[in-house]
Amino acid sequence: MISRTHIAVAASAGACALALGVTAPAMAAPAQAQDKAMVSVFHGIPGMTVDVYANGDELLSDFKPGTVTDPQSLDAGTYDIRIFEAGQGPDGTPALEKQVKVPEGGNATVAAHLSADGDPQLTAFTNDVSKVDAGKARLTVRHVAAAPAVDVRAGGQPVFTDLTNPNEDTAAVDAGTVNTDVVLAGTDTVAIGPAALDLKEGTSNVVYAWGSAEDKNLALATQTFSGMESMPSGVHAGGGGAAAATPNSSDQWLAWAAAAGAITVAGVLVARQVAGRRG
Amino acid sequence: MAAAALAAVLGVSGRTSNPGPAPPDFGSTPSGQRAATAPSPDRTESQADTPLEATPERVRIPDVGLDARVRPVGVTEQGAMTVPEDPSVSGWYRYGPVPGSPHGSAVLVGHVDSDTGALGEFAALYEVQRGDRVEVRRAKAAPAVYRVVSRATVPKDELPPSVFRRTGAPVLTLITCAPPFVPERGGYRANLVVTAEPLQG
Repeated sequence: MISRTHIAVAASAGACALALGVTAPAMAAPAQAQDKAMVSVFHGIPGMTVDVYANGDELLSDFKPGTVTDPQSLDAGTYDIRIFEAGQGPDGTPALEKQVKVPEGGNATVAAHLSADGDPQLTAFTNDVSKVDAGKARLTVRHVAAAPAVDVRAGGQPVFTDLTNPNEDTAAVDAGTVNTDVVLAGTDTVAIGPAALDLKEGTSNVVYAWGSAEDKNLALATQTFSGMESMPSGVHAGGGGAAAATPNSSDQWLAWAAAAGAITVAGVLVARQVAGRRG
Repeated sequence: MAAAALAAVLGVSGRTSNPGPAPPDFGSTPSGQRAATAPSPDRTESQADTPLEATPERVRIPDVGLDARVRPVGVTEQGAMTVPEDPSVSGWYRYGPVPGSPHGSAVLVGHVDSDTGALGEFAALYEVQRGDRVEVRRAKAAPAVYRVVSRATVPKDELPPSVFRRTGAPVLTLITCAPPFVPERGGYRANLVVTAEPLQG
């Protein structure tokens, strides 16, 4: 369940520079032109309603804490993201500002949140919208709270351990509803939850642990991406071979014979056409 | 090569709604894969929640005497579609569309036979013809009614992904196993795939 820890940590370490190295996922790509990227914004700074500007243009207004936008298709490129207290932009002093590079075909969430020490900051995360195996869902947890290292548990069992701000961890889990909570790392001291998460098959679910431990307003927010399903690896719907061998199955063998005949006939037709062209 | 030969399709490509008995050589159009492999055309809706009342309970194809109870199934530990052990019971792939859904391919599966030698209900799929009526009885909704448009035999490892598509034109897909039967390679090597389209009105 934690097999991807090192990958996720590596991705998060690079998050400040936001290099979206993922290849364009098959399901996400068709809806957008190749020079586009999908970008969403999460607001995890308690007590502050904000406006969000990208390159001087208002992207979001009156954006409330604990909410995440639907992904928007933006031209790939570098954006100057500025966060203002609602109504203060775009000419005032931004509360937060960051250059974010959005490569084409990428999928990212820009999170405005508190650091472990409680200072507002912006972090850009790459969303993994690659396929998951049949029957699975992807669960990603991002620690964007003013809080120490935590473990994330599902059904009482640790799924992610020692997760620190502003990092994430990811795993493919069985689809279904799981009861999750967040505990202080290495302890049973519940910091957030428990909360029931409905992880639908073939989806990517990003859970933000946000807020401030000191201010006792730690909470979870969830962002879901769909369309990551895969077909089952096979359909094994046979038994002992009776249907291939019973005397009663003459009908089916006639059918197979008919099929073989059809192929033969088609083959002859093609051959004739070829011969005709030659002639 | 035998598998490749069986990959040929017993398809019926005609798109008319003539419900009359299909001619004996209904396999005469080798392009019959169309219905089973048609790409999703225009819809992009994602999987919808399944209303409880729409859960399929029974599938019937009266023309060939198929009548099987249906229960929801998912995938095995190995990632294959779960198939009910009892060959008289059909499995509905609960992660995909529900029969009667306006989008995508609702998949029902059934064992063609059992380990003990009994034929399964889905063995009757070997005899379906174009136009055969398929009824899916639902818990608290009117039956979803389809008619067979194609039948294809494909090697198990070449089952088209479109069989499990969740978007695009609505179809009902019925799957079982088909010869060749090679015990030393795990039994049947092919899948029989019957595609049915919603019956209008």
